[in-house]
Amino acid sequence: MLRLLRRRALQAVGVTLVVSTACFVMIRTLPGDLAFRIAAGRYGYDQVDAASAEGVRAELGLDRPAWQQLLEWWAGLARLDLGTSLVTRASIADELGHALGASLHLAAVALAMGCLVGVTLGAAAAHRPGGALDKLTTLAVVGSRALPPFILGLLLILVFAVHLGVLPAAGHGQASNVALPAAALAIGLAGLFARITRDTVVQVRATEYVQFARTKGLNGRLVLTRHVLRNSGVTVVSYVGVQALILIEGVIVIESLFGWPGLGHALVHAVFWRDVPMIQATAVALALLVVVINTAVDVSTAAMDPRPRVKEVTP
Amino acid sequence: MASTPTLRTARAIVALTAVVALTACTTTSDTRDGTAAVTGGTLSVVGPVEVHSLEPATSSELFTRLQVSETLVATDADGALRAGLATGWHADDDTTWRFELRPTAVFHDGEPVTADAVVAALQIAYDKEGSPLTGAPVAEIGVDGDDIVVRLDEPFASLPAVLAHTSTQVLAPSSYDEDGAVTEVIGSGPYAISAVHPPQRIEVTASEHWDGTAPAITDVTYQAVSRAESRALMAESGQSDVTLGMDPVSLQRLQDVDGVQIHSVTLPRTIQMKVNGEHPALGDPLVRQALSAALDRQGMATALLRDPEMAATQLFPPSLADWHQDDLTALEHDADEARRLLAEAGWEEGPDGILVRDGERFEITLRTFPDRPELPILATAIQAAFADVGIDLSVSISNSSEIPAGHQDGTLDVGLYARNYALVPDPAVTLLGDFAPEGSDWGAMGWNDEDLTAALEAMAEGLDDAQAADARAQVAQIMQDELPVIPVAWYRQSAVVNERVAGMTLDPLERSWWLSELTWSS
Amino acid sequence: MTRPAPEPAAVALPQVASVLVPPTRRTADRPALWWAGAVTLALLVLFALLGPLIWREPIAQDLSRFLQAPTPAEPLGHDHLGRSVIARLAHATRLSLVLAILCVTVAMIAGTLTGILAAWRGRWVDTLLHGLSETLVAIPALLIVLIASAAGGGGLTMLFVGIALVQWIEYFRVVRARSGVLLAGPGVEAARLLGLGPVHVLRRHLWPELRPVLLTMASFGIGTAVLTLSTLGFVGVGVSPPTPELGLMITEAFPFYSEAPWMSLAPVLVLAATLLGLLGIRGTEARS
Repeated sequence: MLRLLRRRALQAVGVTLVVSTACFVMIRTLPGDLAFRIAAGRYGYDQVDAASAEGVRAELGLDRPAWQQLLEWWAGLARLDLGTSLVTRASIADELGHALGASLHLAAVALAMGCLVGVTLGAAAAHRPGGALDKLTTLAVVGSRALPPFILGLLLILVFAVHLGVLPAAGHGQASNVALPAAALAIGLAGLFARITRDTVVQVRATEYVQFARTKGLNGRLVLTRHVLRNSGVTVVSYVGVQALILIEGVIVIESLFGWPGLGHALVHAVFWRDVPMIQATAVALALLVVVINTAVDVSTAAMDPRPRVKEVTP
Repeated sequence: MASTPTLRTARAIVALTAVVALTACTTTSDTRDGTAAVTGGTLSVVGPVEVHSLEPATSSELFTRLQVSETLVATDADGALRAGLATGWHADDDTTWRFELRPTAVFHDGEPVTADAVVAALQIAYDKEGSPLTGAPVAEIGVDGDDIVVRLDEPFASLPAVLAHTSTQVLAPSSYDEDGAVTEVIGSGPYAISAVHPPQRIEVTASEHWDGTAPAITDVTYQAVSRAESRALMAESGQSDVTLGMDPVSLQRLQDVDGVQIHSVTLPRTIQMKVNGEHPALGDPLVRQALSAALDRQGMATALLRDPEMAATQLFPPSLADWHQDDLTALEHDADEARRLLAEAGWEEGPDGILVRDGERFEITLRTFPDRPELPILATAIQAAFADVGIDLSVSISNSSEIPAGHQDGTLDVGLYARNYALVPDPAVTLLGDFAPEGSDWGAMGWNDEDLTAALEAMAEGLDDAQAADARAQVAQIMQDELPVIPVAWYRQSAVVNERVAGMTLDPLERSWWLSELTWSS
Repeated sequence: MTRPAPEPAAVALPQVASVLVPPTRRTADRPALWWAGAVTLALLVLFALLGPLIWREPIAQDLSRFLQAPTPAEPLGHDHLGRSVIARLAHATRLSLVLAILCVTVAMIAGTLTGILAAWRGRWVDTLLHGLSETLVAIPALLIVLIASAAGGGGLTMLFVGIALVQWIEYFRVVRARSGVLLAGPGVEAARLLGLGPVHVLRRHLWPELRPVLLTMASFGIGTAVLTLSTLGFVGVGVSPPTPELGLMITEAFPFYSEAPWMSLAPVLVLAATLLGLLGIRGTEARS
């Protein structure tokens, strides 16, 4: 376990270095004058002009060689200082904190809703494979996976905000704002979770050790909790990990539709404005999140299923 | 049998789900009550502009629009200048202007608005980028007793208009840090900031220090939602009380929705194409006239802006009453005339239907940006219209800065954008910059006209009313003949207002939302 | 011996776990689902192939016919610029399918080759490729695609590169993991002892094992690619207009959902049908 954590920590450092440098290089090689882009972000399309772009260039020292600017970023990072946004001049740590907070909030609610509904449906469907509930679940799962998320979002707004008037259509800041975007994400997730839970439960119940446990006289509930749930849990947990990642980085459409100020929103703006340190910081944050979630998945899997397993595929 | 406990567990899970669902419903009804309570007390304003900065020049005018901060000079519903923080102003002589301060004005931190504080704020604005004040011939901003005195290097009749620009808003001395950066917006308007949550929310509440009529609606929340369709849904569902920046398509739908009213005002904004006058093909006035004639403005305005009246017949919209000339020959769609003009300029149809001259294909690129959603759609329509007369136009949708950048390095062929001719309430200031002889990022490119320059400069120095009217007519005529920029459409701004709220007026200059004049209907 | 439920690969590689759930059963409803998926896809491909030949003008405008309702000649009416919706839809379907298949093919070939290479050669080749994939996985996919589309300025090539770049990692990781297990297995060992060359091992031992997984991943990947393209269109950084592309069409038509539902619904239905068809096929492939 310690070895695993140490390896993950090393990976985190490596990833931070590589990812932030890669972002820097990629952004700097994009077409378009950096100073003009930043000025457009600051002053808006009515006021951006050569004079404001030159002002930005002088203020930020964009004429200096790129390696100097990269070194500065390194130095800042070493001091855990992410610097300030080139466009808004606000502290990147603050801006990133807000965006990350909003994203995590949305992802957590969506995951909770998706898990709850999905696992319930899946477990119920697994009870009688091939039964009516099982078939219905499969149908619902396929249907929900085939609808693009923005269509789903629009439908939810039309039903719950416009027609019924019980939930706010879009926006951020009130507790109820999270309901519809989370639901839009959760519907697709629930389908996935239902399917995995169902398959895994059916499969685990069919394995010899569960059969054996039954024959040796353990009562049904014990078999369920000790064997079925534990073994199904391993698969489901790794799924939750993957989905959490996808949710955090990949919900730009939902963020856009519902006006949710998450990481996707921040990234799109930062790329559009060429806000280099903001892009670097966001990318690093997401990369570290990938490492953290993978670690969490590894640790919880190990806790649930302590059998040693092959880690490296090659000797 | 083993199934019984499983079934029991399944039941337990279902029960748990039901509990959670119930909790969710309870929360929902709570928020519903909450929303109802909120609509009684807090006005919900939703608009497209995000909150990215507290600085006057880069805060997208949000703090003047929310009436948190004031400028020396304000404007009324007709776009005319009226008293702001200054109760009156006059020119002592050609190059000295005097502004008398409203003596009762108090900043939200309780400090009185003094001439010293105003001068300090103006000086900071003057020293920063992005303010038209920097472009004005200002020599010195000083204090004389209770008055603010601005000394100029040369006569400049539009100074009061410049001091109505949002970048010249007057903030309390405690708003700035030692470097002159704004750390907090402390203004003197009817509303004071209670919270700012970038990039999405600003909360304001009626200021106890406001020296005018107290606003009927005391609490206001501004929320930025960038998608127009989402804003429309917020308006339709009654979530927002005032919804700004509505798109033409959503407006069509909302017209039939009960409980909301649509308010509109024509803006002094023109959607236009900037044309590179040094381009071998586009430098020819005949070609520019042909481009103009190729455009079906009526069709575009009807189908895309859903508002046939917005088809531009000249550069200045009727809302700029002083500048719009009724007797100008209107720009009209005539594809045959366009083809004739192009032939006259030496262009002949090539093998693939695209015009050719001296072996060169008529290929140009139009740059535009998605910040205003109608621009890419109009660009697509323009592309088809040009193809119809044999011009191969490719459309590049990128960042707004690509137009000034292309102006600077000479790579721009055509740029499509919306120009606000009343950035400063006097269009002459914007025109003087945009059509300066050397060209300008958002105006002429490789084109100048001595008569136009002379007319604009004379206006800047100050003319009497009759002379000024003549000069404006002359400017409009030259623009119509020479087409250094080709007008495409005018612009109407719309807001959707819930019937809970009464008293909405839209500002044609978009300087203020005048929320302090709203009342609850019931 | 009892095989524990989750395979090691599924635990070590959570990213790709979705396609690694082993088959559980075969029931009568699977083939029906498979057939439904196959027929849907066949119809879509037919539409993508023949549609553009029948309706040839996806970008011709007639502003005077904006939002015209469907007629027998124009079964889906006209859009906001007076363009034929069915013509645009046919061209868009073709473009989206071609682009998605291209992305997936390139990603699959690159991922499979590098995966086998890494598993086979081990040592520094493996370390290098594994490190590269770990880094790419850590960079948010959204950022890679955003940067690619910014570099391409609305062109198709860079979008394709971006999506392929994101997708190859998945194939690499699965192939590397599976091949590692297979190469260390008794079958391959026996083949080696018999002096059979790498081609034999590849054909007889690796390919039969990898094929079903790869096919499943590919059908899933095509769906993802189509969705990614439409997502980019929705946030305004995808293919530049007037190129007909499904996501762009959905985005353009989105505001007209109440005024001209036929125009909004048509591209959504095509997208949903594509995803459904792929899901139907995938559902069975994963279990065969």
